[in-house]
Amino acid sequence: MAGQSGIHLVSADGPAGQHFGLAAPVLFDPEQHFAPGQKTDSLDRVSQFSLAAAGAALRDSAIPVNTDNAGRFGVSLGTGMGANKSLEDAYIQLLLRDPNRMKPLTILTVMNNASAAHIAMQHGLSGPNLTYSCACASSAMAVGEAWRQIRHGYADAMVAGGAEAMLTFGGFKTWEAMRVLAIADRNDPSASCRPFSKNRSGLVLGEGAAMVVLEEREAALRRGARIYAELVGYGSSNDPAHITKPTVDGQARAMRLALADAGMNADGVDYVNAHGTATALNDVTETRAIKQVFGGCAYRLPVSSTKSMLGHLLGGAGAMEFVIAVLAICHRAIPPTAHLDVPDPECDLDYVPGVGRHDQDVRCVMSNSFAFGGTNAVLIARQADT
Amino acid sequence: MMKNTLETVREILAKKYSLPIESVTPEATLESLKLDSLDLIETLFEVEDEFHIRVPQDRGEDVTIATVQDIVTVVNKLILQQHPAPLAGAQRL
Repeated sequence: MAGQSGIHLVSADGPAGQHFGLAAPVLFDPEQHFAPGQKTDSLDRVSQFSLAAAGAALRDSAIPVNTDNAGRFGVSLGTGMGANKSLEDAYIQLLLRDPNRMKPLTILTVMNNASAAHIAMQHGLSGPNLTYSCACASSAMAVGEAWRQIRHGYADAMVAGGAEAMLTFGGFKTWEAMRVLAIADRNDPSASCRPFSKNRSGLVLGEGAAMVVLEEREAALRRGARIYAELVGYGSSNDPAHITKPTVDGQARAMRLALADAGMNADGVDYVNAHGTATALNDVTETRAIKQVFGGCAYRLPVSSTKSMLGHLLGGAGAMEFVIAVLAICHRAIPPTAHLDVPDPECDLDYVPGVGRHDQDVRCVMSNSFAFGGTNAVLIARQADT
Repeated sequence: MMKNTLETVREILAKKYSLPIESVTPEATLESLKLDSLDLIETLFEVEDEFHIRVPQDRGEDVTIATVQDIVTVVNKLILQQHPAPLAGAQRL
């Protein structure tokens, strides 16, 4: 809320040198999250993040998992690149060291569904187990599709969210090669990610996981669950023209579909957590898409990009930002777009620059996620009517 | 320090799976130590490094590894196959 960012100058070692760059790393001590003796050798960092977040979400939900409900309790997880570090280490071993000494569990560690599999194993969940990989929309899709599993009657509850752990030598180098990473602010590296600001220079990589427990509404009410919000709309569309270039119409369509799904008009939305990557292309396109959908209301609508502080969690971003949007309802507070110092004439909405706003009437929120590859996913949540 | 095969295998298993060393007896079954087939594959991978041996992909249909001693037996056999110095030394006497 204070506009403080977790972005730092970091370094990563690789076999061909060291990379210095910007990132928002998670200070993660596995010992805090795993019991002594629990086998973590074959858990990539992304799966460790996933297990930690899912465990916290399940504990918070207080749903007991037992033989009666386990079959109707599933997992839906999104990740862009999955076990990036373990895959990278495997290729270093394969190509630079000894291809006959591959770690025996490499496949089980790097498969994209490893995180979801371990969540289900740890908690004994035997309902649908799904993994979505659509780049930066992965975990928004995972949440939306989990919701459909419940709405369409295939499950009663789902652990849903996503994770990414791509702050590796190869992760940095491949993103750097695409020339979309932010240039470091010489005076304050933590201020290097500036969504919607005229002087924005690109995205900053983040990492982490975010998980929610979705439960069928009546069941949650019956057991007196603590309900953070009600997920009421999910819209998904695709921009098929180009692998990275978004379109106003594609993004707007996903927002409209989510609104239609929720059975509401645009003027009912109180806050939008934007995709807001701080790239030249996204921020202008998203601004135009919001204007197309919200019309005259667009200028009164608070829209912020929390990537200015958390960096871009890629496959984990959609779930993390959905959680932030839901917490905006719970805390009646709107998080800011940090480091927005120089207005861009093409980005002229209320981006909540600098610091967040308290005591806000936030009853309905929208979270936007738009991906390389074209996938657009939009989630809408409303204050629970209990 | 010199160690025999059994002690080395026991130490690898105890350390890797946080087991009390006294539970890792030669007769202990992998099942009783709550180790499954994937754990066995990982253990053999470490054993290969430790003894500079290679466990062939095809361990042979007649070779079943159920106990700690079974691992030791396989390892000793492979050591002699792949590092025949002890046998050669015996012949020189």
